[in-house]
Amino acid sequence: MTTAAETLARPARVGFASRAWRFVARHSLTVYALLAVAYLMLPIAIVILFSFNHPTGRFNYVWHKFTFDNWIHWNSVLGIQSALEKSLEIALLATFVATALGTLIALAIVRHRFVGRGATNVVVFLPMSTPEIVMGSSLLALFLNEQNTIQLGFWTIFIAHVMFIISFVVVTVKARLIGFDRHLEEAAMDLGANEWTTFQKVTLPLLAPAIIAAALLGFALSIDDFVITYLNAGPVQTFPIFVWGVARVAVPPQVNVVASAIFLVAIGLGLANVVWQYRAAKSTRGGT
Amino acid sequence: MNEDMTRAELLRRGAAGAAALSVPALLAACGGSGGSGGGASTEELKKVLNFANWPYYIDTPQTLKAAGIHKPTTLQQFETKTGIKVNYYEEVNDNPGYFAKVQGRLSKGQGIGRDILVSTDNDRFLGEYISNKWAQKLDKTLIPNIKNLIPAQQHPPFDPNRDYSLPWASGMDGIGWNEKETDPVTSVKQLFEDPKLKGRVGVWNSMGDTLGLVILENGDDPAKVTDAVFNRAIARLQKAVSSGQIRKFYGNDYGPVLAKGDLAATMAWSGDIANLADPHLHWAVPTHGGIIWTDNMIIPLGGSVPTASTYMNFMYDPVISAQWALGANYISSVKDVKQAAVKLDPKAATNDLTFPTDKTLSQMHQNDPAMLTNPDYNKKWLAVQGQ
Amino acid sequence: MGSFLHRHRSLTPYLLLAPGMLWLAIFFLVPMVFLGYQSLQSGLFPHFQFTWEFSNFSSALSGYHTQLVRSFVYAGIATLACLVLAYPLAYWIAFRAGPWRNLFLLFIVAPFFVTYLVRTLAWLNILADQGPVVRVLRDVHVLGPDGRLLATTFAVVAGITYNFFPFMALPLYVSLEQIDPRLLEASKDLYASSTQSFLRVTVPHSMPGIVAGTLLTFIPAAGDFINAALLGTPNQAMIGNVIQAKFLESLDYPTAASLSFILMGTIMVMLLI
Repeated sequence: MTTAAETLARPARVGFASRAWRFVARHSLTVYALLAVAYLMLPIAIVILFSFNHPTGRFNYVWHKFTFDNWIHWNSVLGIQSALEKSLEIALLATFVATALGTLIALAIVRHRFVGRGATNVVVFLPMSTPEIVMGSSLLALFLNEQNTIQLGFWTIFIAHVMFIISFVVVTVKARLIGFDRHLEEAAMDLGANEWTTFQKVTLPLLAPAIIAAALLGFALSIDDFVITYLNAGPVQTFPIFVWGVARVAVPPQVNVVASAIFLVAIGLGLANVVWQYRAAKSTRGGT
Repeated sequence: MNEDMTRAELLRRGAAGAAALSVPALLAACGGSGGSGGGASTEELKKVLNFANWPYYIDTPQTLKAAGIHKPTTLQQFETKTGIKVNYYEEVNDNPGYFAKVQGRLSKGQGIGRDILVSTDNDRFLGEYISNKWAQKLDKTLIPNIKNLIPAQQHPPFDPNRDYSLPWASGMDGIGWNEKETDPVTSVKQLFEDPKLKGRVGVWNSMGDTLGLVILENGDDPAKVTDAVFNRAIARLQKAVSSGQIRKFYGNDYGPVLAKGDLAATMAWSGDIANLADPHLHWAVPTHGGIIWTDNMIIPLGGSVPTASTYMNFMYDPVISAQWALGANYISSVKDVKQAAVKLDPKAATNDLTFPTDKTLSQMHQNDPAMLTNPDYNKKWLAVQGQ
Repeated sequence: MGSFLHRHRSLTPYLLLAPGMLWLAIFFLVPMVFLGYQSLQSGLFPHFQFTWEFSNFSSALSGYHTQLVRSFVYAGIATLACLVLAYPLAYWIAFRAGPWRNLFLLFIVAPFFVTYLVRTLAWLNILADQGPVVRVLRDVHVLGPDGRLLATTFAVVAGITYNFFPFMALPLYVSLEQIDPRLLEASKDLYASSTQSFLRVTVPHSMPGIVAGTLLTFIPAAGDFINAALLGTPNQAMIGNVIQAKFLESLDYPTAASLSFILMGTIMVMLLI
């Protein structure tokens, strides 16, 4: 935002050729960025497009006719609704718990020096460096060895999801905490607030964007997970497991509808967050 | 009846284990209320039936509409008739995967939250469920319709008295092709060696199905698989994989790929091709013969025997089974189902894939159960797939 | 609570850590021990016995080194591709996107919100033999008349690249964003060309992001099996496919467990180097 102004303010030391080169470079970079985003969006666009298709047969890959039917009757496919509900329940619950636990770990690691800090870092890092298939199967080994106490199903999926989300939360929140201005907290303490009040009134609000980002990431990881969930789901079907099932025969357009809906809601929330941050940034700038 | 006799013959030819067939067992199975089968439990009927099945394996409003049948689905009829709600889970995507998922709990004697699950005889896992005592005995007092089970299915090697299992559906292994992409493909030789098909051929990722067809092509007998027979088949398949002739090993998912034209021809199940309802897709029994398999319902540990048995009885009504067969496009093991089907839809009379004629059935073989359970064979089979 | 914490300051970090670390210990570390136990068993399903069967490791390694090496090669190429593709994008977002910055960040994470399987299936349609992409490539003779993209090494690597792209782009962005623009301006004044300034200032300062992105991309890519399963052929099978098949198809848990450890161990060794 400020780069343009700075460019203007800089002494015009660079020659014309170099400037021209930079002009091209700048715009080619912009073009590249747009192309890259297009590449990221291409399959998503296809998914959304085909959610409006009225396929001739059972297969939904040739464009035939535009229709809203799939959206209106999105749950007409056996099992899709309960699968989506399960996915959402698990994702919400697991994200909530993992975000809380992960934020606490991040606070401990960044704010405190203590014996075992290095080991903590390693343990947090390990799940991210372990292939999903290994984590999934080792968890299954645990659940099956536990003497008749744990039933594979909702709670085992929940446990697994919290486990693999925590590390991502720690990393995300940690990154924000490291570049964190502690003066505000110190000021609050000087004004008589105790640690808990300071945490509630100052630290938490300042951390909020990072926590929200971490939660969003956690939610995405949870709702998307297939490998670990598949191994530990028992009789419960989440949306990805449902997709895996129907993909073996034919994916009905309703799967596209649900996938598109999840995407659009998430992007909607993300956009709201973008606008909110933008406004917040504007108002604080106006205030100071 | 003729048809049934052919199948009986088949089974005898196919299954070495059919030797286990004994007179009392025969009586028990045919009598329907035989003591051995009737685990006449004191358990109560439940309000809910949890049913684990393969995807696209039952009649739905859409498939019934396509077949021109204006009736509620068999599931709806069952619910209306008995007041039992069915939670129908289309969660069995492959036999090993499902087995791996549930075996942990079953091995400790725990239930898996299902009253019925469906598993294929042409794989090692159905036998595992039954021999490990992870399946419960049917309550045959609640299944009087078991008398409608065709003779060919009454004494399978994995469950000689049908104490633990009843067929859900049968299907045939053969070759499907897309006429927009290739001329008819009717032999495994053509599938594996025709240079025009290079990289556009699919086979199954289940050993019994794929190797069964290759063994037949080699002129060997899939019912008696020796090391030499097995190795010959594996070598032939390996050659086709290494040369790049074979694109992939598919589960159920070859259908869209074939319809799209990425595959020109593939090993395919009879019902799938019928289900695709694409006029450009064709299916044939290979020139050296095909393989017939049957998916079986069992009651896993923890499942409600009376509730499950009540459902099985319902499905063994020829009229219900006929409607199911027309809606699901797979072969029923219920007697007189073809006659019942013709009343619902006259086209059924000529539908050779769902109501196969004796001639078609006479080209069908069954696999040696010993091949399916041999761990060494299994290892070699995975190795061909790069695994 | 406040006063308690005040009196026992040294306890605070442990109290903060306890719930999360317990979770990780019980549901990550303990299962690993069980897996280790499994990897030293022998026998056939369902009758395994613990016999310190170390030969599981050597036989797994000799049987599947091809897939192991292949996994690391594919993951390496995909990671490099991610880096090359994501760096300019992250750079642009960090320095040139202005008010659009957060919006573009949202675009980067967007693929996460479409189910992994669904978007990989979408690629199956985009890259199909009869699809538009292949048709164009055939017309311009990049591909031969019978050429194809699906069921090739290219498709598998491209799939991995797409699916793990955000894991590379995000850390890159974070590290680039932290570079003070004034530093860049100063460096441009000091060095003759912007290329030099880029190589001597931007790249070194974004090194943490490059390292983090490489790890976050490379590790899951090496253990992936969905891309090879959906987009490849048996000749592209990766170690994840083998582990998956051993667990779910042949029920050969000891081999599967020892392969899991070999995979993890190799990754750890690579991390240390």
